[in-house]
Amino acid sequence: MKLAIRFAHVFALTALFLISVSRTAPAQETSAVPPKPSDIVSTKTYVSLDPVPRGKEFQAAVVVKINTGYHMNSHKPTDSYLIPTTLTPQLPAGFTMAGEPVYPAGKNEKFPFSPDKPLNVYTGSVTFRVKLTADDKAALGKTSIPVTLRFQACNLSACLPPVKIPLTVELNVAAAGKTGKAVNPEIFPAKPTS
Amino acid sequence: MNRAHTAFLLVVAILVVAVSFSGCKGSSSTGSPSAPAALADEPNVTFKDLQGKDVTLASFKGKVVLVNFWGTWCEPCRGEIPILIAMQTKYGPKGFTTLGAATNDEVNTVDPFIHNTQFNVGGQQMTMNYPIVMGSDDISTQFGGLLGMPTSFLITRDGKIFKRYIGALNENQIVKDVESQL
Repeated sequence: MKLAIRFAHVFALTALFLISVSRTAPAQETSAVPPKPSDIVSTKTYVSLDPVPRGKEFQAAVVVKINTGYHMNSHKPTDSYLIPTTLTPQLPAGFTMAGEPVYPAGKNEKFPFSPDKPLNVYTGSVTFRVKLTADDKAALGKTSIPVTLRFQACNLSACLPPVKIPLTVELNVAAAGKTGKAVNPEIFPAKPTS
Repeated sequence: MNRAHTAFLLVVAILVVAVSFSGCKGSSSTGSPSAPAALADEPNVTFKDLQGKDVTLASFKGKVVLVNFWGTWCEPCRGEIPILIAMQTKYGPKGFTTLGAATNDEVNTVDPFIHNTQFNVGGQQMTMNYPIVMGSDDISTQFGGLLGMPTSFLITRDGKIFKRYIGALNENQIVKDVESQL
């Protein structure tokens, strides 16, 4: 009986050793899919006035929260081959751009795959703004302005293909002469800080 | 008590062995935080070269092939190119080749890149010296899907996937693996 117990002990220990080895050898086949953009970023859109009176300039903003462990190229990456982050509004009739989109400066960071050459990237939370004007052809009432966020993200060892995320900025257009109340001051301070 | 103890240990051991070896067939991944997708044992893939001609993976049978999914826009992909150039130089004559599959890229971007971009390979400036083809989502799917770029697959001389590498290659590991297949 003692021999049987000893055998069982040895067998169990051997099995435990084998399972630990098998975890570093060929892996079990399981189904996996590449991370979706929503696994990497969350987005929220804002406007600076509510309502937006016809004839008034206002701002729209997209706040992008980049998940920990990921970064995306800034709007001005360090090399021309890197894909910049861009925000492109598709303006409906009655809206015009009152300037180019404003992108925050990126941060220069080094990564294990680029130890000698820092890359200019966004991490954490970044806010992109664009100044728009609603003219007298803008439809009154609730309106959506589509915008496209394009970015290319990486983690510390690998990159994901560039993606385009469609977003919408929701706003309420009022007749000319109506008062537009400043809203979302946390996004649009009196003096924008980029 | 001893009998019960022995029986219990035997059951545990059998279960452990069963779990350990279930689904072990296939290839491993390294450097990835995510679980690997199911791999085809022997992918039957046809790429397009930069002139639009078909290039089958089967046409490389007899060679050890490292299929390297990369992109001109992908910094870690660029970072490992010197390793691939050096391996091509060293192991090419022994029956090895890298096959670079440019993904999410355009031919008119890739073509000048491979001819003009110089890489520092052991102090020497070199351009990419291995065949380049165009990747696609369909092709990636036939390899089980890509969780990120770069992703590489080491293919044995008889066309079977030996191992998958997600993310930037570890030079020591890939050299060891290639040598094991030559």
